[in-house]
Amino acid sequence: MSLPKDRPTVIIACRVLQSMLQQLLPAESAENAIFMDYGLHRQPGKMTRVLQEEIDKIEASSLILLGYGLCGKGLAGIKSGKHTLKIPRVDDCIAILLGSRQAYRQEFNAAPGTYYLSKGWLESGSHPLKEYEEYLEKYGAEKTAWIMDQQYQHYERLVLVGHSQSDLETYRPQALKVARYCERWDMRYEELLGSYEYVRRLIDASAVPDNNSEDFVIIPPGGEIRLEQFM
Amino acid sequence: MSEIYQQLSTIIIAGEDEKAPGLVQKALDQGLAPLEILDNGLLVGMNEVSARFAQEEMFVPEVLLAAKAMHDGLEVLRPHLVAAGAKPIGKIVLGTVKGDIHDIGKNLVGMMCEGAGFEVINLGFDVDPEKFVEAVKKNRPDIVGMSAMLTTTMIAMGYTIKALQEAGLRDTVKVMIGGSPVDAEIAERIGADGYAYNSPTAVELAKRLVGAA
Repeated sequence: MSLPKDRPTVIIACRVLQSMLQQLLPAESAENAIFMDYGLHRQPGKMTRVLQEEIDKIEASSLILLGYGLCGKGLAGIKSGKHTLKIPRVDDCIAILLGSRQAYRQEFNAAPGTYYLSKGWLESGSHPLKEYEEYLEKYGAEKTAWIMDQQYQHYERLVLVGHSQSDLETYRPQALKVARYCERWDMRYEELLGSYEYVRRLIDASAVPDNNSEDFVIIPPGGEIRLEQFM
Repeated sequence: MSEIYQQLSTIIIAGEDEKAPGLVQKALDQGLAPLEILDNGLLVGMNEVSARFAQEEMFVPEVLLAAKAMHDGLEVLRPHLVAAGAKPIGKIVLGTVKGDIHDIGKNLVGMMCEGAGFEVINLGFDVDPEKFVEAVKKNRPDIVGMSAMLTTTMIAMGYTIKALQEAGLRDTVKVMIGGSPVDAEIAERIGADGYAYNSPTAVELAKRLVGAA
């Protein structure tokens, strides 16, 4: 199967990747890209439904670039319909932020219990300190301490991923606040320079392999995203 | 139906773990049967939590608190259940596989299975295949439950099943798996006996696997 070169390209991505995509995309494509709520990863069932709706809304047969990973089964079961889907072959956005599956693998091997922070995640308030503050209000100190321990006690490292030195500098103060909170689990703080490479390859509409490749899952028209394709 | 059953189920749903032991004790003091306290109180609450969780109306922190409330209530109840002749409906050895530190889902499965009447031996996280094998030899469970949350670690599920085979133990247990990167198709492929999407369905699966559903 080869793709007609003239088919439209549509980007549907998690808001966590928005700034990276906007850096790379021509202004017009950036405007047409669809960015979805950060919080969907907490509701994989809803993520599947909402993404399916977005895909089904697109009228012309298109190449859809999904700025997502498997995200806790959030993508499993999505049907391509008349479109072709191209998806990074990753568990979640961390490998995308870091720039490649290899970079992620290397960091995973260095410290499997790593919690990642990024511009997007800090801005969306999805991090342990924010959770702590929310839980405290809802459940009180004692229960909150217990829930937080359940969630984070096995993590050993907190990493801020930035895509430039100025990125790191901008988000460092906020990340350090989270790091101070996470010291209760002896998590150490580190910073990493991520790469745009994976996002660049995702949005390269001319590079759509006929079949699944090492780095991308390709769903042809009439297909369905299956978990197995991410293995 | 006694009002106290209603109260028990309410505190489970609200995740008021601090109230659970006292309220179970109160029910026992009223002379209510231990198994009824479990079935009509704690489990009614937990089943409601499971349903809301499955609908994505309740989230992990609340479900954790609810499971803890049930667990703490069960601690008070268990000696009375045993004294009343209640036997575990089966034994489960549970762990997150090697290389993986995610254990919230697996712990929820453990607590919910306890509530459903299983004896649960929780091996923790980053559990080597050899450690699963040792635990099976030692505890002779009916079920081995494995969890993994990453495509990079789920491979250890297959290794663990292989290790059980090599130790001659595979036929003595049913194997169930769960976690983000696995589904029924993958369960079948790696030779597991079943897959559960979430903790409530893991309880149902475990019951089926021991013929108690």
